[in-house]
Amino acid sequence: MSLMTMIVKMSEGLGKTCAIFFLTLLFSLPLGMLVALLRMSKNKILSSVVRFFITVLRGTPLMLQLLAVTYGPYYLFGANVSRNKLIPVVIAFSINYAAYFAEIYRGGIESIPKGQYEAATVLGYSRFQTFMRIILPQVVKRIMPSVTNEVVTLVKDTSMAFTVSYQEMFTIGKQIANSQTSFMPFIVAGVFYYLFNLVVDRVMGRIEKHLNYYS
Amino acid sequence: MSERTEPKPSAPILEVRGLRKAFDRVPVLRDISFSVEKGNVITVIGPSGSGKSTLLRCASFLESANDGDILYDGEYALKSGVYAQKKDLNRFRTLFGMVFQNFNLFPHYSVMRNICEPPILRGCEKEAAEERAVTLLKKMGLEGKEKAYPCQLSGGQQQRVAIARALALEPEILYFDEPTSALDPELTGEVLKVIRQLAEDHMTMVVVTHEMSFAHAVSHRVVFMDGGYIMEEGTPSEIFDNPREERTKRFLSNYRK
Repeated sequence: MSLMTMIVKMSEGLGKTCAIFFLTLLFSLPLGMLVALLRMSKNKILSSVVRFFITVLRGTPLMLQLLAVTYGPYYLFGANVSRNKLIPVVIAFSINYAAYFAEIYRGGIESIPKGQYEAATVLGYSRFQTFMRIILPQVVKRIMPSVTNEVVTLVKDTSMAFTVSYQEMFTIGKQIANSQTSFMPFIVAGVFYYLFNLVVDRVMGRIEKHLNYYS
Repeated sequence: MSERTEPKPSAPILEVRGLRKAFDRVPVLRDISFSVEKGNVITVIGPSGSGKSTLLRCASFLESANDGDILYDGEYALKSGVYAQKKDLNRFRTLFGMVFQNFNLFPHYSVMRNICEPPILRGCEKEAAEERAVTLLKKMGLEGKEKAYPCQLSGGQQQRVAIARALALEPEILYFDEPTSALDPELTGEVLKVIRQLAEDHMTMVVVTHEMSFAHAVSHRVVFMDGGYIMEEGTPSEIFDNPREERTKRFLSNYRK
């Protein structure tokens, strides 16, 4: 198989790679905020339960979580493994990344000085207005570098979907590598990820610059 | 429920009676009583840890007191250690403004938005709020700073923006919690000058400060606090020239040259 054929075949999986990437961000970014707020809840039971789930999701391999979400229903309830693997893959990724984002959000929220809340309260902002208008915009700016880190990692982590044979770019590459006994597909995959992340880096850099209107 | 005591024509804007507050069982305010009449400037002086700031923070509901009464315009906000309902507290909040030691401006907002957003959220027209902000900034000596961000301003300028922000809500009484303590000595003057100006305009104010000559010059009454008590209270000349209490004399002697 020529290098060109390999590249073409693997690019056919890029759509699915992108699907995992964008859908995971779409779900995990807001879900992470919800988890962070629950984690910081004054209700001790609620916050401990959430805290426990965060430790599990951060303390076990993503690969294991992918297998659990994809095949768990079959082993537990005898349910059919869904034909469209995108759904379990995105669920597993979203939950896992939400746990990481939650901790980033929490760090950001806790880093905002108490005086900001006090000023807002005295000026008549409601709790919701204080959070949405005063706290959140400052949090977003502060956490951007950490979020960029996670997003870059996510690009590479999409390759993990090969464990459940979801036909994204890396899974196809691995199959070609096996059938052709060639290392070439891995190099192609590496280049793909690198280029993807160059774009991510550009975009995140733009956003950070956009948020730099104050220091 | 907030109930009205007999509607005296000149009920003090703020009245505090027997206020007590402890942090982790350490008493910070013990039996504080005082009142502020409309148009008066009260300065609160005393050593660090005497409870001056806590008093202001209780009056502005940033800390909850353990016991005592707080009345705004003759209405109970706190009665025997029990707070009024949330909607009443929110109504009382519209009566006072607060200027903090660390300014607490919103760094992601321009000067204009810092000043305009609170009144707009309370239902004020945008144009009216902006017009008022421009007038206030002029009064603070900050013309043309509308578009600046707080980080582009000096500490003294930031504090003057914070004063404008508090004034934009047209409070009946303004609290200052050590407004110049975070400033370089050469910047305190410009902030004290605008507070003095407000005093001349008969703004009702309670100022916690370490600036003795300022306290002497602008206040109608001076309150000296120590150890959670009001040790002595009187006119500036009574406190500064003829203090009765030994503790007051000792405290003031630190400031005499």
